Amino acid sequence: MTVRWWREVGWRHAGGLVAVVFAVVPVLYVVSAAFNPLGTVVSTDVIPTRFSLVHFQSLFSDPARPFPRWLLNTLIVCAMVTFVQVLCSALAAYAFSRFRFKGRRGGLLTLLLIQMFPQFLAVIALFTMVTELGEALPALGLNTIAGYSLVLMGGALAQVWLIKGYFDTIPRQLDEAAVVDGASHAGVFFRILLPLARPILAVTGLLAFVGVIGEFLLASIFLTDTNAKTLAVGLYGIIESDRSNNLGVFAAGALMTALPVVLLFQYLQRYIVGGLTSGAVKD
Amino acid sequence: MRYRLLALITATALLSTACSADKEAGPTDQPSAAPAPSASDAGPAREDADLVIWTSEAASRAVTPIAQKFGQENNITVAVQVIAADLAANAITANAAGNGPDILTLPNDFLGGALQNGTVKPLSLGAGDLGAYEKSAVASVSRNGQVWALPYGMENLVLYRNTKAAPKAPATVEELVSTGQAAVKKGTVKRALSLPVGQEGDAYHMHPFFTSAGGSLFAMDASGQYDTTKIGIGTPESIAAAKKIAALGEKGSKVLSRSIDGSNAIAQFTAGNAAYLISGPWALADIRKSKVPYDITPIPPFAGGKPAAPFLGVQAFWMLSNAKNPAFAEEFVTKTMNTPEAMTAMYEQDPRPPVRNDVLAAVSAKDADMGKLAAGAKNATLLPDFPFMAGVWPPLGQAYATIVGGADPTSTMQKTGKTIESAVKAK
Amino acid sequence: MIRILCLGIAVGTAAALTPSLAGGGHYVVLTVAWVVVAVLLVTYGTGRAVTAKYLVPGTLLLVVFTVAPVLATVQMSTTNYGDGTRTTKRETVERILANSVVQAPDSPTFNLTVGTSGDSDFTFFLVDRATGTAYAGNRDGLKEVSPTVTRGFVTAAAGYTMLTPKQVNDAAAQLKEFAVPVEGGAIRQRGLREAFEGRTMLRYDEAADTITDTATGTSYTVQRQGDREYFVDGQGERLSEQSWRAGVGLENYRRAFTDPRILGGFLRIFGWTVVFAAGSVVLTFVVGLGLAVMLNDSRVRGQKVYRSILLLPYAIPGFISILVWSGFFNQEFGLINNLTGLDIDWLGDPWGAKAALLLLNLWLGFPYMFLVATGALQSIPAELREAATIDGAGAFTAFRRITLPLLLVAVAPILVASFAFNFNNYNVIELLTHGGPFTPDHPDAGATDILISYTVRLAFGAGGAQFGFAAAIATLLFVITGVLAAAQFRATRSLEEVH
Repeated sequence: MTVRWWREVGWRHAGGLVAVVFAVVPVLYVVSAAFNPLGTVVSTDVIPTRFSLVHFQSLFSDPARPFPRWLLNTLIVCAMVTFVQVLCSALAAYAFSRFRFKGRRGGLLTLLLIQMFPQFLAVIALFTMVTELGEALPALGLNTIAGYSLVLMGGALAQVWLIKGYFDTIPRQLDEAAVVDGASHAGVFFRILLPLARPILAVTGLLAFVGVIGEFLLASIFLTDTNAKTLAVGLYGIIESDRSNNLGVFAAGALMTALPVVLLFQYLQRYIVGGLTSGAVKD
Repeated sequence: MRYRLLALITATALLSTACSADKEAGPTDQPSAAPAPSASDAGPAREDADLVIWTSEAASRAVTPIAQKFGQENNITVAVQVIAADLAANAITANAAGNGPDILTLPNDFLGGALQNGTVKPLSLGAGDLGAYEKSAVASVSRNGQVWALPYGMENLVLYRNTKAAPKAPATVEELVSTGQAAVKKGTVKRALSLPVGQEGDAYHMHPFFTSAGGSLFAMDASGQYDTTKIGIGTPESIAAAKKIAALGEKGSKVLSRSIDGSNAIAQFTAGNAAYLISGPWALADIRKSKVPYDITPIPPFAGGKPAAPFLGVQAFWMLSNAKNPAFAEEFVTKTMNTPEAMTAMYEQDPRPPVRNDVLAAVSAKDADMGKLAAGAKNATLLPDFPFMAGVWPPLGQAYATIVGGADPTSTMQKTGKTIESAVKAK
Repeated sequence: MIRILCLGIAVGTAAALTPSLAGGGHYVVLTVAWVVVAVLLVTYGTGRAVTAKYLVPGTLLLVVFTVAPVLATVQMSTTNYGDGTRTTKRETVERILANSVVQAPDSPTFNLTVGTSGDSDFTFFLVDRATGTAYAGNRDGLKEVSPTVTRGFVTAAAGYTMLTPKQVNDAAAQLKEFAVPVEGGAIRQRGLREAFEGRTMLRYDEAADTITDTATGTSYTVQRQGDREYFVDGQGERLSEQSWRAGVGLENYRRAFTDPRILGGFLRIFGWTVVFAAGSVVLTFVVGLGLAVMLNDSRVRGQKVYRSILLLPYAIPGFISILVWSGFFNQEFGLINNLTGLDIDWLGDPWGAKAALLLLNLWLGFPYMFLVATGALQSIPAELREAATIDGAGAFTAFRRITLPLLLVAVAPILVASFAFNFNNYNVIELLTHGGPFTPDHPDAGATDILISYTVRLAFGAGGAQFGFAAAIATLLFVITGVLAAAQFRATRSLEEVH
């Protein structure tokens, strides 16, 4: 361990480890609670002292809490909304980054502004709207995953700014060259920009996914039917009904909820890191 | 071309998902003629069931089997749904939008808000039927000459005692404190009493001590109803009571602490850390599971004080005014639930004293705890249901929390009294 | 070809849905569906409007599911909608009347079977439980009949079809209006198989707009009390607490600007709101960026492991983490005091609670900034930095002069958005401190209240849910947040990048 190593690399590890401890301790507590057979607030500590899968078993065997169903619902909603959000945002970001049109600047600012509306105060209006939609088209009404997903898709342009910022850093010469070679604007978008923008697509995809998986407020109002619930509402019901004793089951559910996010990140990480090399095609 | 395809798929999701929407008209779209008997009733199940019940997680375990049996008997689908957060507010909103359940379970303090919003409809049971129920329970859901819900269980605070730490039931609060602290000294337990206070306070759990020390929320009129023109908070009696509470607090004997809150109060007792616990029937299942030796007695008064009066809450079945299936709802509540068998089943899954007298007698004979829990209600006063209570509970709880934390009881109670006065007057 | 096919599908779907939508009277949904189709046709049907082709999909969703509810909320802010005013006046009167039906004393209870004949109306077949006499009743009245009675119920009658329980339930809307008039009252359905003789104690006179109690003769007229109207008697006593929905113009805004409670605490709360939002952004960004830069070096081994672990706080849904953390801050049993040996009254002390919130928000938010910064760092050519180092600039100077400015360009909008998010971060306040700790001097305004948690408490507190008022507050907060965000944009000058 030379001084030089410390100056260039070592301190990075030191800082990283501090952050890891900060990040991990609360998570460890959740892990410890999930595997602690007593599963109460009083009996749980950061370091797991006992090990049992009883809470996971009860997650998967209690018919009053169809956890696998909630997991499936959540994954469906997350997949649909994330896909739509990233796609719509990328499309719009392309227009904002590459085309010059009237209302471009205003449009960008409006997008940012609309996201600032305290959405949960619009919840009554949304509720009325979905009620009406459900009366007309029951497949999209309350207590349907499709209807709930549609409402969340209202945030389809939430990632425009991030993606546009990334597109802006990709040299225009690249697309201009492609146009000279006879590519259409669609060709430029799909063949040139999207592959280059993989890191940011991976990041925004993850952001969208996490945003949806943790969405609780709208879900608690729109999804009351046990079989239509997402993990967030279902789990909240568990902890709300008995905060001190359901901690174990709740923690086990929380870990199961975190799992898809962690897996998705593992999968996307190579694209984020892959950006290190592919993003280096610069002028 | 590819992007166009993608874009179109996205944008038309609204329409294409709807493609499979059923073409049959919903129940409200039927022409006014009588429904023609049709054989296709057994077709694909509707998205919403023929009877929808909203309830809490605990009560759902009792209601579900009963409701399923009802569904089989009537050949209909039944959905018992657990509402995660804020059942009352969600039900009021959903009912107003025509999207609510047919039945829900909530305690009697739902009545005020429900009437204000026209959310519930009266129970069409005659005096003959209701005679089988505990009078105070029926009274708790009665207003304007109507009975608005079918009560099934009562809940009130009692004193749970770890009999290893405290073999004898305390006759006074002082005795509770001294025996509890003696047990702490001996090392049997870590604290004398577990009573949820929390950072925001808990006016519900503090009420027995407050009343025993001479305090009151509102004065009572001659007929035993709350007289909301006479607010008890801020009066000299309430200040004296607050001083007694302060003496138990963090600057006093440290029996009460803001660190004990709703999330850990019961667990402190079940883990064997506390000699006493003040809680209601909902704690019983956990205590039994924990194997801590326990006994249940009414909450004792302060020495020379008034009786300790917990609030009496009554859990009940309510029928909603905009129910889609009012006939099934009425049948379920007034016929199926209104039986000793169903009321016994409710007790078995979610143990709390039943309010049907014959069931309470039968259950108490087998399960002594039920009689003891019910005995704790002897001095109880009804949980008030005024909509303005939403402006009374929080400041009162906060006042208790700051007093337990060591704030001056006199000025705290006086200021809180003014706050509550304006909340009551605003309506 | 594909384009035409897709447009065809869209048009076809809309067309296929039209009859049932129109038949059901769902004109709003119908119109929206066709407008969406029309927009798609115009955009993708022609070869022009290249820009629109990229903007339309997201914009359509945004307009329908975000902008429309926002507009509806703004519209709601001019009404008194809330607890007690959720119904229209007609519905309120109906409910008051229906709730006054009582069973006539000593009146018989009947076993009920609902029948229907060729015509379109119902007939109640009743068997008096006490006497066993069978009747048939319709809107004209009751008459004795002798149909087939099995176990106390009429099971068949010539010329009639008996409804099954399910059919009785499904016909609820029509049966609600159905009653068999008898002397002194009417026979109504109760549940599936029972009927009783009930009396409506109240009568509504539409012309005079009064409700009269038929037993006492008291008459109730409409009177305005506060922001709503009630039926009241001569002394001003309300017949029912139920009022009805009505427009109130700008009354909710007037209240927001004149309510002494709002004005009294406004500056203090506004100050903390800004500190909380800015503090959260700065803390999370500094930590997130620092970590991203630290670990964004190919010489650091285990980068992937670091990244995966640092993401963990973000992987657990926020409300779960907040609930777990709220236990950590418990003074006596909490993890933080136990691990560090401190005895800090985290949530009971105003400063402790503020620190707790910022700490929690840092934990919740730094992985987001870490991710964003890591993503943005990839877009900065390594050659640029390397060039700077070769030129003699130190690593830190190179970072400050070259990497940071480029990075800020990319993330400035994210920082502004994050500020706006935290400005209205109701969840974290509500789940950790509920705005507390409170003092009796300010029972409505806790030490950690931000504008939204504070005003929501006013809108949903003592007076029950006041959606109209809440909507007005949402609109005002929207304006405040927007102005602040615009000011920040100006300050960060990132707008130049937009030009």
